Amino acid sequence: MQDDNQARAIEPGYLTQDVTKVPGWHGLVAWDLLFNNLTTGLFLFAAVGELARPGLLGPVARLAYPVALVLLLTDLVMLVADLGDPLRFHHMLRVFKPSSPMSLGTWSLTIYSLPLTLIVAIEAAQFIGWLPSESQALEWMRWSAVVFCLLPAFGSLAYKGVLFSTSSQPGWKDARWLGGWMASSALTLGCAELLAISILTGHPRAAAALRTVAAVLVVLNLIPTGLVFLELRPTLSRIYRDQQVYLALAFILVGGTLVPVVLLLAGDGAPWRLGAVLLIVLGGFAVRLLLLKIPHASHESRTGARALESVRRAVPG
Amino acid sequence: MGIRELELTDLPQTSDPPVGLLASIVNRLTWPFRYGHVEPRPSTGFYTDTTVCIGCKSCEVACKQWNQLAADGLEWTGNSYDNTAELSATSWRHVKFIEQFAANGQSAGHDTTATHELTIDQLVNGGGAGRWLMMSDVCKHCISAPCQHACPTGAIIYNEFANVYIQRDICNGCSYCIAACPFGVITRSDFDGHSHKCTLCYDRQKDGLVPACAKACPTASIQFGPIDELRERARNRVKELHARGVTGAYLYGEEPTESYSALHSFYLLVDRPAVYGLPDAPFNPWLHMLADYGRTIASALATIAVILSLLFLQRL
Repeated sequence: MQDDNQARAIEPGYLTQDVTKVPGWHGLVAWDLLFNNLTTGLFLFAAVGELARPGLLGPVARLAYPVALVLLLTDLVMLVADLGDPLRFHHMLRVFKPSSPMSLGTWSLTIYSLPLTLIVAIEAAQFIGWLPSESQALEWMRWSAVVFCLLPAFGSLAYKGVLFSTSSQPGWKDARWLGGWMASSALTLGCAELLAISILTGHPRAAAALRTVAAVLVVLNLIPTGLVFLELRPTLSRIYRDQQVYLALAFILVGGTLVPVVLLLAGDGAPWRLGAVLLIVLGGFAVRLLLLKIPHASHESRTGARALESVRRAVPG
Repeated sequence: MGIRELELTDLPQTSDPPVGLLASIVNRLTWPFRYGHVEPRPSTGFYTDTTVCIGCKSCEVACKQWNQLAADGLEWTGNSYDNTAELSATSWRHVKFIEQFAANGQSAGHDTTATHELTIDQLVNGGGAGRWLMMSDVCKHCISAPCQHACPTGAIIYNEFANVYIQRDICNGCSYCIAACPFGVITRSDFDGHSHKCTLCYDRQKDGLVPACAKACPTASIQFGPIDELRERARNRVKELHARGVTGAYLYGEEPTESYSALHSFYLLVDRPAVYGLPDAPFNPWLHMLADYGRTIASALATIAVILSLLFLQRL
């Protein structure tokens, strides 16, 4: 084996470089992360809510499915646009590779889109009078589609975090709870979206129930957030100054958790609760953007340090 | 392959029958599904003996010439003689230069008399003041390659020589292979949007030829052949170096570790891997994928359980 006793001066060498290359995933992927979690979180929350408490959440869930479909289509546009060769998106579907989270995710999203479209099509046809609104057969078909859609929606939700943690990138590779955080966060976002829909469409009973659930979920989401933060801490400490890390943490705790919870529980009236929903979504986006930036920031910090070292060597003192 | 204009197969030939719009669309949609199976052949790879590399970069040039890779431009990196900087979509070989000489007022570690200014005598008498390390870097063609696991399109395959190969007509530039590779090998081209890396001269191998870089290497630092034969040769070389007093010589990637498979392109090194820009202990991220899924599912189910509890507890 190598002789470890021989510490050698390297100028500048490769010792301080990140070995891995940063994938060209930028802002578009942060939006993709958000829209993926918005659509899957909303659908799962609405479907589970409708199946568990149809009387309370059924009417709101029916309104949520079209929104979930729009969010899904937006997400798919982001996914396709981010490819190096968008016209080859369909190549994703030439193989099914469970070993690849991206393959699993693409198939899950594709399958998820089909029953979701069916649900929305049935609802739309009933709304405009093309189909009878009281048909048992149609209701059974819609209900079946909702149940069938649960698994691919769950797959679409689960793959995203694992995709990032199953990589060799600085930070991401250490984040064992990234998928867990994303799942919890997506359901929290879904709850917040459903709350907004129930407020905007005039369903006060549903809004009252969802307000409490949202407040509890926002607080509970701190557990996986904390776990991910602990795993990312060494990488973050290397990239950023302590003050920057604590500032970001404070924003997450105050802006994304404390203020929304106070607004949800203490705020009286729709504007306060909608403000809370907005903060939850914005906070979710900010965290996703920060997570996505870690390899980029790591690479930049290494490059900056090397440049500084070169200057220091060139200009002694 | 980075220069599309030079690939005649991509251009319509006069002998091609006329293709209508519908046929063109059908062909485009079904083309990726029409792939066959090839019979495996003996595994091949590279063994790179860094102790005899002289940094001539002929491997880089031969690689670029054979594979018709575009020039990268010329940038002064300030890092010794290395102006290639890194492996990229258009540089599938990269010769690294490591200068291990003492900086002013510092110790080089193995010889405290070293200074920046070397005399001819010092160089002729074995240096004494320090040493150069040079290494021709390339795709490691891992036996269990994270990039291959990652690829959602099946573009990255093991070919019949057990080399990791990107099918350029399948890749859609998702970049997951780039995120997965622990060696920082694969790069997405700005030109065509697809991922590129060393093919281990698949086309030459099919015709019974040695890869261009190995053919061009004037010191046999890059050796190509059946992988078992290369391993045997490398082990003998390490023994020989140890016998000659180079006790730091060792093989990197020749055998699997607990966290990573063996490499079909392995190296003889004389310093820590990190010094050469290689990970000291490469880790295959797929080793914890199932556990990550487990945590994700557990987290989601726990959250759903909380949601259901709260919904049922509320009497509204």
